[in-house]
Amino acid sequence: MSDGTTEATEAEAAKAEAPGTAATTPDGTNGTVGTPGAPGAPGTEQAKPTPTLLLTRSPGPAELDPDRARRRRRTLEITLGIAVPLLLLLWWQLAVQQKWIDSRIYPAPQTILEDGWKRLVDGKLWPDIWATLKRVVPGFLLGSLAGYVVGLLTGSIPLVRAALEPMLDALYVVPKLALLPIFLLIFGLGETPQIMLVAVTVFFLIWIQTMAAVLAVPEGYREAATVFGASQWQMYRHILIPASLPPVVVGLRLASGMAVLVIVASEGLASPNNDGLGYLIFNAKNIFDQKAMYVGIITVAVVGVLFSELVRLIGRLLTPWAPDRRGPGGS
Amino acid sequence: MTETPPSGNPPPDAPVKIHATGVTRHFGRGTKRVDALGPIDLDIRTGEFCCIVGPSGCGKSTFLRVVAGLVRPSEGRVEITAGTPHPAAMVFQDYGISPWKTVLANVRFGLDIQRVPRKEADARARDWLARLKLAEFADAYPAALSGGMRQRVSIARALAVEPEILLMDEPFAALDAQLRTILQDELLEICQADRRTVLFVTHSLEEALLLGDRVLVMSSRPGRVIAERVPPFERPRTGAVRTSPEFAAMQAELWMLLRGEVETSGAAR
Ligand SMILES: Nc1ncnc2c1ncn2[C@@H]1O[C@H](COP(=O)(O)OP(=O)(O)O)[C@@H](O)[C@H]1O
Ligand SMILES: [Mg+2]
Repeated sequence: MSDGTTEATEAEAAKAEAPGTAATTPDGTNGTVGTPGAPGAPGTEQAKPTPTLLLTRSPGPAELDPDRARRRRRTLEITLGIAVPLLLLLWWQLAVQQKWIDSRIYPAPQTILEDGWKRLVDGKLWPDIWATLKRVVPGFLLGSLAGYVVGLLTGSIPLVRAALEPMLDALYVVPKLALLPIFLLIFGLGETPQIMLVAVTVFFLIWIQTMAAVLAVPEGYREAATVFGASQWQMYRHILIPASLPPVVVGLRLASGMAVLVIVASEGLASPNNDGLGYLIFNAKNIFDQKAMYVGIITVAVVGVLFSELVRLIGRLLTPWAPDRRGPGGS
Repeated sequence: MTETPPSGNPPPDAPVKIHATGVTRHFGRGTKRVDALGPIDLDIRTGEFCCIVGPSGCGKSTFLRVVAGLVRPSEGRVEITAGTPHPAAMVFQDYGISPWKTVLANVRFGLDIQRVPRKEADARARDWLARLKLAEFADAYPAALSGGMRQRVSIARALAVEPEILLMDEPFAALDAQLRTILQDELLEICQADRRTVLFVTHSLEEALLLGDRVLVMSSRPGRVIAERVPPFERPRTGAVRTSPEFAAMQAELWMLLRGEVETSGAAR
């Protein structure tokens, strides 16, 4: 977008030296008009006209009609966001129809969509979606709450940090899926192992993010509160919690993706009632039902996007002061 | 070492509010040790408006932070006679106000900390917002304010708790000259209306002479008090004293003193 700072270089000016030629930037708002120093100078080398530049900084579309520009920008972004995957899908469809790729391994998008739609209206997909959500949402809530509390404490109390950080660091690097067998041993075969696995994954992400955010709170904010005589709790309530929230919201979005990833993998490894999207995908692969596999994958993607958007929305409501970093068309 | 000079107002027999003896502060250890401050011996009386000027890096902020209780002195002690455990409010040069609070909530901050009931706190905060001409921005976030407005929020926040001691660390340094003049006059008016004990750090001699009952000049680092002057202007003062001949004379005299220090601190680097 035009930002009103277009610079005219000597080279640009030289290009525009012919009388009556105006060099204009593509959006036509910020332009450079070069006029030769002496009229009729072109061709006469020895005259060496020093071009005078007329630089204009005028309102662009975003300034003239902000609402319209914003709407257009948003439409463009959404269109792009839909068009790019759509093009890829079309290309895939074409590739299958032209037999460039094997439709037994890569069923055509059309086939997948038809199959997915059938499963949806037959009601065969919902139980799996529901089973996965029942594991992912409680696990996510549990893990993020615990991670946030521990992150606040380790971030704000040096002795707690000294006591816990090395241990948590060591646990952090353990691949969480490797914990599934242990959780199965501890919690038995119910839903608990899966929920705990999601919780542990989210916990570490949020803990590290929260601790870093609290440590990054500028000293000046705390000092202002200290001089007024803030208690420890008031320090959390007025300074540390709000100041650390924006980066923690980013962490929550990352964690929501990780949570979906982990639950799908763990359902593929061991699903208590043979349900869940992970089970659907891995089972479909075992029985060579490629269509079902792709339907499962796409459903996981949709669930993941919706989950992450929900977290983003809640984050926006929690941090009304934070600038929305979604660009000019952002919602 | 430094004896309190007589001055018309506040009454010279007013009780001592802040009593500093042999205060020093250093940072770091070994070869990295920096002697930032002192030794400082100083008495500030109740109701006195005391200005501190000195070359940058001489320890003015450090002294203020010692008084505020944000850092401890390395040696010596500061004794504050106060009615409450947290008698001071501080106006910081930067990072004063919280971006996550609205202007009103920022001004109410000290009152919230002191658990003043919400209704009363809101009323007092709004009153100060009005006095600093910020009323219409009560519900805005600081991100939407100009630098001068943010600084006024930070001043309103400090004044709203009606502190016994007001600590101000170059509060107007980041402002343009016009705005600074306006805010100086406003501060003069506010401080004369309800006499508080004020410790005001500035690098502007003009500001110090205009506002202060007493002006202390600090040496280059480690900062000590090398001179003090009592601006001979009766209170209530107005911004008009800026144009008086005594003002210019004293400003020139202090500048001579300060200039020497600025040059030594420059040469030391
Ligand atoms: N927290 C700190 N750690 C290390 N050095 C510091 C710290 N605070 C201040 N100093 C040093 O102390 C000296 C005085 O600083 P300061 O009081 O901020 O000066 P002034 O406010 O007069 O400009 C400076 O040299 C500064 O680098
Ligand atoms: Mg300073």
